[in-house]
Amino acid sequence: MSAGGPSLRWPARVNEIPKEVFLRPDIFEAELQRIFYGGQWHALAHLGELPEPGDFKTMVLGRMPVIVAHGDDGTVRVFVNSCTHRGNQLETASCGRRTEFECPYHRWAFANDGRLIGCPGAREFAPDFDKADHGLRQLRVAQFFGLIFATADRDTPPLEAWLGATVSALQDILGGDGRLRLLGYQKVRYASNWKAYADNDGYHAPLLHTGFRLLQWQGGQGSQTVTDNGHLAFKVQLKPVQNAGFLRDPSLVAFKGVDPQNGSRVVQLFPATVLTKHLDVINLRFAIPTSVDETEVHYAYFAHQDDDAELLRHRIRQSSNLLGPCGVISMEDAAIFQRIHVGSRSPGNAAFQKGVKRLDTLWHDFGQNDEAGNLPKWDYYRRVMGFARAGEGGDGHA
Amino acid sequence: MAMPSDAGLGAVDALQQAYAAALDRADMAGWLACFATTEAAGYVCIAAENDARDLGLALMLDDCRARLEDRVTFITQVWAGTFQAYRTRHLVYRTGCRPGPDGTLDVTSNFAIMMTPEGGSTTVLAAGEYRDRVVLEARGARFLHKRAVYDTTVLPRYVVYPF
Repeated sequence: MSAGGPSLRWPARVNEIPKEVFLRPDIFEAELQRIFYGGQWHALAHLGELPEPGDFKTMVLGRMPVIVAHGDDGTVRVFVNSCTHRGNQLETASCGRRTEFECPYHRWAFANDGRLIGCPGAREFAPDFDKADHGLRQLRVAQFFGLIFATADRDTPPLEAWLGATVSALQDILGGDGRLRLLGYQKVRYASNWKAYADNDGYHAPLLHTGFRLLQWQGGQGSQTVTDNGHLAFKVQLKPVQNAGFLRDPSLVAFKGVDPQNGSRVVQLFPATVLTKHLDVINLRFAIPTSVDETEVHYAYFAHQDDDAELLRHRIRQSSNLLGPCGVISMEDAAIFQRIHVGSRSPGNAAFQKGVKRLDTLWHDFGQNDEAGNLPKWDYYRRVMGFARAGEGGDGHA
Repeated sequence: MAMPSDAGLGAVDALQQAYAAALDRADMAGWLACFATTEAAGYVCIAAENDARDLGLALMLDDCRARLEDRVTFITQVWAGTFQAYRTRHLVYRTGCRPGPDGTLDVTSNFAIMMTPEGGSTTVLAAGEYRDRVVLEARGARFLHKRAVYDTTVLPRYVVYPF
């Protein structure tokens, strides 16, 4: 890591996180460089959002505007959303279909494969100007069952190696074959640092959910898989709701899909992508760290292309009501993100407890409900950021 | 095509006022009372982005009376004490009213919702359009369907109450 990064002394106990890590603007700026523009893959879209050649979606990677474009040649690319002439933002729509992107500033036009195909007045350009050198800047792109990832770093490991042990749960979430169809979006900003969001979205202590308790609806047996590079994957049996009479319309929490024994999956990919399948909801959550104090999350919901009309209708009503920023079993999560952020404006460390087996070094097996499963992610984060643990020597930054 | 009578418009406006007043005092029973008692009554709150693309996914989707009642149960019983309280002020004005099928009225209105969290300052939660089908019952006008289409591409916080 480059010298001059932010300095932070990390606690020696492996279950403790310094609260200031959620709050410091200098750390946020360093995270953009080391994590969001560094050697990680970032999920930006699913092919179900841009199924046809010409379809595109704009997104933000870290703070960088990008276009995810399905080219007329069938290839999906990710471009920096900035004209290669004077840097003007090229596309402002959140999605659409175009054979070319034209910059309104000086009418430079780019094909949807990124080539510069028009630049009026080129005879008066600099003597070494060559159209072939001015195509849109592309990021490395890879797909996993239609989930589209990009990275700005040429040294990021191949995608499947980076996904590691999460691939099985991730494939389940993506319908087994990735043939998903977009149902729509819920988009929201949380007044919370992206790490507090990523730490708490997904699977966590069932204590939080009064809804689960009232419905006598507890998860069954399950597993938590944790990778050394900060990913988590959960597979949990899905038991039927025991007290559906609590609801006037229990069909909302019905399970109509296949695989009833293994109905719940959550994958949290470092740094901040959460993907889940619960009941018949397929939900991909794309997070954007808009500032040290705010995280924007796009909840994208999907059906499978083979769904019949009844299952499609069921997925739409269940997806609309269950797991989003207003969902019957998730609104409370959203409230927690913001309160963690406010509460972190205080001295000291936050400490994990449930499932913590030792304090001097990390271990590798975690129960399905252990909050300690987040600790390898935190340790990975700490290493990527170059923060030394107290007692390890060094001055707190690399 | 017969235009709505003054009495009909008056009943529609009284319903809009009752709806806004109920939400602005977090009175979910009052919210529910604005809907027709038929099983077919429904409420949808959906992003304009989804609505424009004919994507059915909503932020809240209550497609029957039982779902409306379950929403009240969740807000008043299940979520109680879990969220930071905020109060709203709905600014609503009618932009159109024309006859719908079977004696109903199809009403459009613009809305803006001001939000004030406990201890915080006031900001805009959402702006958009209501597209409502209103039925005139003996006790007054009621929503058969209410569709809140919000322009706000990215909502500024998690949401507890209907728009």
